[in-house]
Amino acid sequence: MGSGFLLRRIGYGLLLMLGVVVLNFLLIRLAPGDPAVVIAGEMGGATEEMLASIREEYGLNEPLLVQLGIYIGNVLRGDLGESFFFNQPVAHLIALRIGPTILLVVTAQLLSIFLGVLLGVLAARRPNGVMSAFVSVFATIGYAVPVFWTGIMLIILFASVLPVFPVEGMTSVRLRDAAWYVQWLDVAHHLVLPAFTLAIIYLAQYARLSRASMLEVLGSDYIRTARAKGARERTVLFRHALRNAALPILTVAGLQFGNLISGALLVETVFNWPGMGRLAFDSILRRDYPTIMGVLFFASAMVVIANILTDWSYRLADPRLRGRT
Amino acid sequence: MSDRTAAQVRAESPAREAWRMFRRNIPALAGLVILSAIVLATLYGSFFYSGDAFDIVWAPHEPPGVTAEFPLGTDYLGRDIVAGLLTGGGPTLAVGAAAAAITMVIGITLGALAGFFGGWVDNLLMRITEFFQVLPALLFAMVLVTLFSPSLWTIAIAIGVVSWPQTARLTRAEFLKIKELEYVTAARAIGARNGRIMWQVILPNAAPPLIVSATLTVGVAILFEAGLSFLGLGDPNVMSWGLMIGANREYILDAWWPVTFPGLAIFFTVFSVSLIGDGLNDAFNPKLRSR
Amino acid sequence: MSLLEIDQLKVTFDTRYGQVTALDSVSLAMDAGETLAVVGESGCGKSITALSVMGLIPQPPGKIAGGAIRLAGEDLTRASEARLRAMRGAEVAMIFQEPMTSLNPVFTVGDQIAEAILLHQDVPRDRAWKDAVALLERVGIPAAAARAQDYPHQLSGGMRQRVMIAMAVSCRPRVLIADEPTTALDVTVQAQIFDLLNEIQRDFGAAILLITHDMGAVSEMADRVAVMYAGRVIETGTADSVLDAPQHPYTRGLIGCIPSLDTAGDGLAEIPGVVPPLHLLGAGCAFAERCLHVRDTCRDTKPRLTEKAGHHVACFGAQEGWL
Repeated sequence: MGSGFLLRRIGYGLLLMLGVVVLNFLLIRLAPGDPAVVIAGEMGGATEEMLASIREEYGLNEPLLVQLGIYIGNVLRGDLGESFFFNQPVAHLIALRIGPTILLVVTAQLLSIFLGVLLGVLAARRPNGVMSAFVSVFATIGYAVPVFWTGIMLIILFASVLPVFPVEGMTSVRLRDAAWYVQWLDVAHHLVLPAFTLAIIYLAQYARLSRASMLEVLGSDYIRTARAKGARERTVLFRHALRNAALPILTVAGLQFGNLISGALLVETVFNWPGMGRLAFDSILRRDYPTIMGVLFFASAMVVIANILTDWSYRLADPRLRGRT
Repeated sequence: MSDRTAAQVRAESPAREAWRMFRRNIPALAGLVILSAIVLATLYGSFFYSGDAFDIVWAPHEPPGVTAEFPLGTDYLGRDIVAGLLTGGGPTLAVGAAAAAITMVIGITLGALAGFFGGWVDNLLMRITEFFQVLPALLFAMVLVTLFSPSLWTIAIAIGVVSWPQTARLTRAEFLKIKELEYVTAARAIGARNGRIMWQVILPNAAPPLIVSATLTVGVAILFEAGLSFLGLGDPNVMSWGLMIGANREYILDAWWPVTFPGLAIFFTVFSVSLIGDGLNDAFNPKLRSR
Repeated sequence: MSLLEIDQLKVTFDTRYGQVTALDSVSLAMDAGETLAVVGESGCGKSITALSVMGLIPQPPGKIAGGAIRLAGEDLTRASEARLRAMRGAEVAMIFQEPMTSLNPVFTVGDQIAEAILLHQDVPRDRAWKDAVALLERVGIPAAAARAQDYPHQLSGGMRQRVMIAMAVSCRPRVLIADEPTTALDVTVQAQIFDLLNEIQRDFGAAILLITHDMGAVSEMADRVAVMYAGRVIETGTADSVLDAPQHPYTRGLIGCIPSLDTAGDGLAEIPGVVPPLHLLGAGCAFAERCLHVRDTCRDTKPRLTEKAGHHVACFGAQEGWL
């Protein structure tokens, strides 16, 4: 299949990222007050000397367009500025925290798609059965529960009543010197509650969506053909129907990724997960704008990448789209 | 004369039919009852239940059901939770409704322009929509609120600014579909101007899905407001359900009730809104009901 | 004993109008190598008959309420689901009306034929693929090895129907059910598909149950005919006898409107009205309301099939000679 498609898609993604950079730039300039003060942050205790160096670095005395050029140039070199609160380059701060966020978000995404589709397929076998009713009710409830509150309720449950999963952080201090696989298992153990909290909303939505999509597909002629061949019900459901029903699920999975990152922000805060959400929260409380903008940049980049991957897998799943642009 | 009454009857009947379907939908009616109760409680509750949500009135962490005066207990500072729930609902609901209104106005305007004019207008507006969909909504809203200092209005505007793309896409799709229909061509043929065709001919016919979407947007906006206040990014001078959860978060292992009740309040509000939305959807699309 | 014998089959459906009888005492029989055409307008029960033989009536709302379907003496209405699955595709295979939608869009056509082979034969995967390519060649698809790698959307309607036929004959079934196999195709392609089906029948010795509303197809393909109306067989016999001397007014109407090139389609210009909805059927002949020769008896009693002019017909007018 055409690598031209992938190249075009990546090119468009880069254009979107350029848009994010310009937006970041505009936001700082549009905020009330001196941009240099804004960049230094309210908690930065900015001295006149510091402000001067910021004006120098960002070219704040130059015309706006030149400032934009300087800013874009900096970003292209991987320089997202300096956090005056953490006293570290923003790129470095994010590099330390992007891994845990990706781990959390991707786990939650896979978990919610896998379990949601399974529920939806089982429900679609009997459109008026118990499972279908459960999926509808569950989806409506899942949509209405604030994700941070689910997390808190799970913490209360698992901290006192059923202490089988850790409710805070990503690693145990006592295992700092353990073998690598013990540490990995420890991270996985810590991941259970945050990932499940984040997954549960989307799980409900995928269940409802895949039920509807399966019902539609199961009524189509090629399913009748598969049955007429003598295929087993399991083969009909999971091979013939699901491959087709997966297409709308993939679309939604791509669109949901941004919301998933928003949800991760709250979940990380609740579970003290050391990711970008936690960093965003800390830097927003300190009005540490370079860091906030850096997080916005990388979070958007994650969405762009997820969208490219979605489009690509969509073309893999649907042969009718291959060979088209 | 008789022609006109016939036309009026025809114009009324879809809405009336939808209401007839809605009335028979028990979950949707339950949603309407729950939501009305919540709205009435937040509007008039303080007449019957005196007490300021910020006042420290009792010992901290009084469990619910122990003191008759404070039926749901007190929080970590000794503030009355019932008072918090009654006063905290107002801002949450107001911001939710205002944010949904802003979302709908932006989304419908841009979606209608894109769908109606097509061509480069559509292209440009859809690229902008895609751009906004790339920004993680909550994070972007957090940035906006922090930059422009939190108040109920900035929060509502920030939520509106980050949530409109879906409405825009929906409106665009509806406009693309409807603008090809005969009565639009007919309106054009009698010389109606673009503005008139867009807002007085196409928009009313695109109303059903947009009304459903508006309802669900209110639910999302309420969750959004709750999330922002939970993070401490709401207006610090206004009590809200999200703020109650956020403020008591550190002490959840000592006292479960200060976070549980506001969470339930948010849940029931959004739940009832989405029941209403589902009911409206079924009422407008009777054919889909068997699903 | 016939190869396939449908004996007094009754199929009901639960609808929101209550239970309706979709098939009422339908009896058909066919021998190996024979082609039986079941003819009628949409809604007459001919597709339900085909799906009943396949054991693919959706249950619920459908139900086989009586009668038997015997394949070489074995009653399929009493067979287990596992037995039916082993039978489907292997002993009785089916070709559907819509080649555009009857193939799964996400698998290559070669895969879909190979799957049918693998479901019923204990052969390795690469062997099944080779067989699939050979079958594609057999049904007249040029460059079959390359086409096997194609997805359905890359083929024309006629090609897709050829693929369906290849899939259906892949396990050399004893009975091949073709449900309106050419309705969705161009007239020129229709003739090619009929030729192919005739050839296939000669090579494989399968009995063909041809479901159609098109009397032209009957004259080209069928040894025997059964005309259905509102869930019942109203006239049946050898194709020559029925076509040359139709007895039932409905059959006469059907023959009167064999579509020529410019009037192809569903409409029966010769017969006013449409098939009545099944839940509105009364006690009498279902065709009474559309019949130009209707008498009071027709409205009160259902006519039975009796012999007349060398075949069977269910019509008082024909039987009593006042038509």
